[in-house]
Amino acid sequence: MKTKISELMDGELGSREAAAPLDALRSEGEARETWRSYHLIGDAMRDTRMLSAGFASRVSARLAQEPTVIAPGRLAALPQRPRWQFLSAAASLAAVALVGWMAFGPRDDGAQIAQVAPSPAAQAVPAVAAQVPPPAAANDYLYAHQGLSPRNSLQGVAPYVRMVSSQAGVQQR
Amino acid sequence: MQGGTSPEALTVLRKIYHATEKLSFSGTFVYQQGERTETSRITRLAGPGGDIERVEVLDGMPREIIRTRDTVRCYLPESQTVKVERRTDTRAFPAMLPERVSDLAGSYTITRGEKARIGGFDCESVMLAPKDELRYGYKLWSDVKTGMLLKARIFNRKGETVEQFSFTQLAIGNVSRDQVRARHAAQSWRVEDAAVAPANLARAGWTMNAELPGFRKIIEVTRSLGESRPASQMVYSDGLAAVSVFIESMAGRADPVRPGPSSLGSFQIYTREVANHVVTVVGEAPPASVQRIAAGVEFRKPRGE
Repeated sequence: MKTKISELMDGELGSREAAAPLDALRSEGEARETWRSYHLIGDAMRDTRMLSAGFASRVSARLAQEPTVIAPGRLAALPQRPRWQFLSAAASLAAVALVGWMAFGPRDDGAQIAQVAPSPAAQAVPAVAAQVPPPAAANDYLYAHQGLSPRNSLQGVAPYVRMVSSQAGVQQR
Repeated sequence: MQGGTSPEALTVLRKIYHATEKLSFSGTFVYQQGERTETSRITRLAGPGGDIERVEVLDGMPREIIRTRDTVRCYLPESQTVKVERRTDTRAFPAMLPERVSDLAGSYTITRGEKARIGGFDCESVMLAPKDELRYGYKLWSDVKTGMLLKARIFNRKGETVEQFSFTQLAIGNVSRDQVRARHAAQSWRVEDAAVAPANLARAGWTMNAELPGFRKIIEVTRSLGESRPASQMVYSDGLAAVSVFIESMAGRADPVRPGPSSLGSFQIYTREVANHVVTVVGEAPPASVQRIAAGVEFRKPRGE
């Protein structure tokens, strides 16, 4: 199934072949987890900074679009998008592990995938700077920055509203 | 004139900066960033005795900010805290002067956009399209008559909105002294004084080995962060986008340092350790710019020590 999902993401499946993986993706389970992981890998490879933000909604949006993929005659018309060629299943899994660490850090509890040791193939992957939680006192920095920003000349005191409660800000992530 | 920028657009932009500096007004605006939407009330009183501005956030965590010519006070009623930032020398503080607006044409292509009606005002618009990927783009809408900025949209290189300010109601003129007074009597609150003082960080050994194109250092100070954490701060700006570099000693620090990029609202942050100090770079600029400035921070033992 993992191979099928990989091929589905790359637009390599015909409508009939796509039916089974799409069915599997309709319910929460291993298939959907794989789908998410592969998107994480793709995001990491494409150097997307916000690995986790909005990730679930992007998946939903993609799922919502899927019926057009299985519509007869449409497949050939799909635009060629940049592809992340999947390696062997083992290398993909190792890459998942690497991305798992990068995206969530050691404190993540969905760490099943993060416990797999990376293979040499995964280590060859260029490092993507991992997002970390904002500093504990982030609000102090924002406030101090705002006071000396030339943005104030354009907008007066209005940009100060961008400060958030540091508690809430840290918990967001 | 730098390629693509039109003199008419610069005139509109100059008018906006003048209006922000000169007008009295009172109104309500909405701030949008990601999923967040917050309404705030803002009032500005311009006058010979000095200008006073007050903004109060009406949604979420209560905040009230009052800015006079030489002091900014931020009232946080939930934690009974007032943050105070005094400006001993107002001339030394970074401001984009309306006369210098054409400098922005080095980093942005500035053109006029379509007209629109916002908050009951007939507005003209001006677009600042970044010339590289080191800064965001800006689209500004202003009242044709007064130049008052009614709406500002900041967008990334994909054209996606990073954040947006938009007035829903505005009255120009007729502001009383009472309208800009603090709502909170904060006598018993904790005071966090920023104690901002001019500094020469290069003399202390801190330098930038590679500056970002278009950005230059506009100020460097020593200050206090939060309750009383001493820090140095340098601000780099292209006149519109700004990035601050904070340097704090690791000595006596309780929290662990988490090096790497992070973000909070529309701000990008990059943390790293340099010579037993924590360097925190905070900016209203794309993640890559913040990271590049962070990477350029260097410490060299000052000569003669």
